[in-house]
Amino acid sequence: MQDLKPLDGIRVVERASGVAAAYAGRLLAAMGAEVFMAEPPEHSPLRREAPFLPGGGSALFAYLAADKRSVLCDLGDPEGREAFHGLVAAAQILIDDTPVADRAAQGLDPAGIVERHPHLVHLSVLPFGAEGPKAGWAGAEINLIHAGGEGFLLPNGLSADLFPDRPPLKIAGHFAEMQGGVTAALAALSALWSGQGQFVDVSVQDANVAIGAFAVQRYGDGAVEHRTTRSFRYGGVIECRDGFVELLTLEERQWQRLVDLLGRPDWATDPALTDSAERSARGDMINANIRAWAKDQSVADLVARAQELGVPMAPYNTPQDILEGGQETAREIFREVAMPGEGRVQIQSAPFRFGPEPLSVTRGAPKPGADQQLLMSCVPPEARRVQA
Amino acid sequence: MTRPLEGIRIADFTVHAAGPFCTHMLSQLGAECIKIETALRPDIFRKPHAVYGRAGPATFDQVASNKLSVRLNLKHPEGVALAKRLVAVSDVAAESFRAGVMERLGLGYEALREVRRDIVMVLVSSSGQTGPDSHFAGYAPLFGAWGGLGYLSGYRDGPPLEMRHVMDHSVGMNAALATVAALHKRRRTGEGSHVDVAAREVASSLVGDALTAAGAGVAPERMGNEDPQRAPHGLYPTAEADRWLSIAVDTDAGWRRLAALTGRQHLASDPRFATAAARVANRAEVDGVVADWTATQAPDAAAAALQEAGIAAHLSWRASDIAADPHMRARGAIVDVAETGDTTRAAVGFPARFSGSDQPGMTRGTPELGAHEEYVFGELLGLGQARIGDLIADRAIY
Repeated sequence: MQDLKPLDGIRVVERASGVAAAYAGRLLAAMGAEVFMAEPPEHSPLRREAPFLPGGGSALFAYLAADKRSVLCDLGDPEGREAFHGLVAAAQILIDDTPVADRAAQGLDPAGIVERHPHLVHLSVLPFGAEGPKAGWAGAEINLIHAGGEGFLLPNGLSADLFPDRPPLKIAGHFAEMQGGVTAALAALSALWSGQGQFVDVSVQDANVAIGAFAVQRYGDGAVEHRTTRSFRYGGVIECRDGFVELLTLEERQWQRLVDLLGRPDWATDPALTDSAERSARGDMINANIRAWAKDQSVADLVARAQELGVPMAPYNTPQDILEGGQETAREIFREVAMPGEGRVQIQSAPFRFGPEPLSVTRGAPKPGADQQLLMSCVPPEARRVQA
Repeated sequence: MTRPLEGIRIADFTVHAAGPFCTHMLSQLGAECIKIETALRPDIFRKPHAVYGRAGPATFDQVASNKLSVRLNLKHPEGVALAKRLVAVSDVAAESFRAGVMERLGLGYEALREVRRDIVMVLVSSSGQTGPDSHFAGYAPLFGAWGGLGYLSGYRDGPPLEMRHVMDHSVGMNAALATVAALHKRRRTGEGSHVDVAAREVASSLVGDALTAAGAGVAPERMGNEDPQRAPHGLYPTAEADRWLSIAVDTDAGWRRLAALTGRQHLASDPRFATAAARVANRAEVDGVVADWTATQAPDAAAAALQEAGIAAHLSWRASDIAADPHMRARGAIVDVAETGDTTRAAVGFPARFSGSDQPGMTRGTPELGAHEEYVFGELLGLGQARIGDLIADRAIY
């Protein structure tokens, strides 16, 4: 009984043009759901998104569409729509990120879907949700990280020190949209658990406000956080001889061990620094000393010694460091799969596992319409006039 | 109409941010979450926090909210025995100690399976339960560093970017997802699960596309606010100081609409800007002409006008903007809850709406330590008042 996955037996139809909805589908596929991408005739726009692989394919799509199936459905065409509904009838979850204004024309309006598929969890994933005054607003990644509040607070620490006058900074890639995807997958599985078919309305903005809830909490405490004042008083991003490390000591014993790691220099053994408030007040002095000392250290050696002493420190790993890392290799978090047009590609498994082994990644991202015959098998015979 | 996870019970051993966010999400979805605490080592929000200038316990803590609170001293054999009895009547046991701590307390997966055969045990840690780094301590900025998210974020000519609480809470959101998936597996197979959530793997999963590219020999680097295929794409100044406007133009038609909106129609046909490739190649000039316009604009009106023209735009919002937003309040994404001292404040509701439930996600603020022991120890576990009193006197309940 090798390779049983938690969502084996669950079928999902995904109509996604954005990262959030596609990532929700990817997470469900990673956990064993059978996910059908219902691509429009011109194919998913995610197939044309950077970063690109050497063969010209999209690495983003390779990651998001691993383990999924692909069918082509023209929802502007009655036959295509009939085939689509045949597929949805056999599914438990429909993921859709069609803008609200375009839904009715494609037969994707929630009322129509619930009437035809009352059993279904209809998961809507939109930048600002399907309901509310801003439901029609467009939102790209950079807008959403700022609509959610975290964008305003970045950068802090070393980047903010070096470039105090620059505009705020986004997080790499599709961070905010992926938060929407994780939230959407959670909401869909929860709705499915209830046994009640229903419309589930996920907003990427809401998801980012949720994970950024600490800023709302601090606001309730009377403080509006700002990127230039949110920095840790000492520690943070520290440059070494051959890269950067992150250092963060929140507890007293961690500070004491850091003093040991530094070799107990005079400035660090000053009795005044045994008081945490005093350390915060002298953070600039502490960090100037730590930065000067770290310049000559090697990342690997320093992190090993720090963790040995119980000082929380980590290397700023490059992608290559992660692909070849001892921890990542031991946990087999990457799987190699064949992707049409690209050969073998490495895909990270889900960041959680349901036992000692990682969830397997079994198939690379499919060609457009690779599973068209499966679509046909879902269509009642009288409606079978649609060609791939 | 009830919330989707109504009827699920969680024995919640998690502390700090990532683990408690997981169970907080599940509690907002309707699960009954029992937070297990001890006065011997209070969770972070019950203590002063010098970094945030807090001299005493927090009057409100988002991730502890909506939960029930009981005290259990897990260094006491009777405390451990009670913890097991609680797990025996729960569907989920969640924890976020360093790998190995629960086993040393006598509360490892096998021990919990003995009292509840189909328990879903969720273990949240920095590096996972296995591997050479499994014992490593970590916080959000370290997860981001290990996972590559930190390296890939930042200005092109600057250092990596330090990740903060959103990193912790991303881990918690993933853990909540995995927990509900494990419940589905239990429903189908009758089997529980050992759900191992590694924070640094969550960080790397958020740049999984870049890792796939790197694995194929294409090395991605930091690119600040840039998008490799789009310009304008960034944060632009407005007429108000430190009030930034994010704009992302996706298509050539979008660029033409922007040119018209700004009254600079000649830019639409300017060969330096007419196509996406040209705009990307002349990014600095594009940013310059866009900023010339935005810098004269009132922030909210500019965002609304851009959206009206079909261009993705939003102000860089502060927490104060979010707390007051009519859109988020209409969605129940911002709710008012009671905090200690009977005042109300804005808190964050569950980030999804369910047509099958009209119940709010948040119904309680942060519980006082041990506030729900009568219900949990008395009603759920069936202990009499005298027995509870003895256990308190013996500091098993402490």
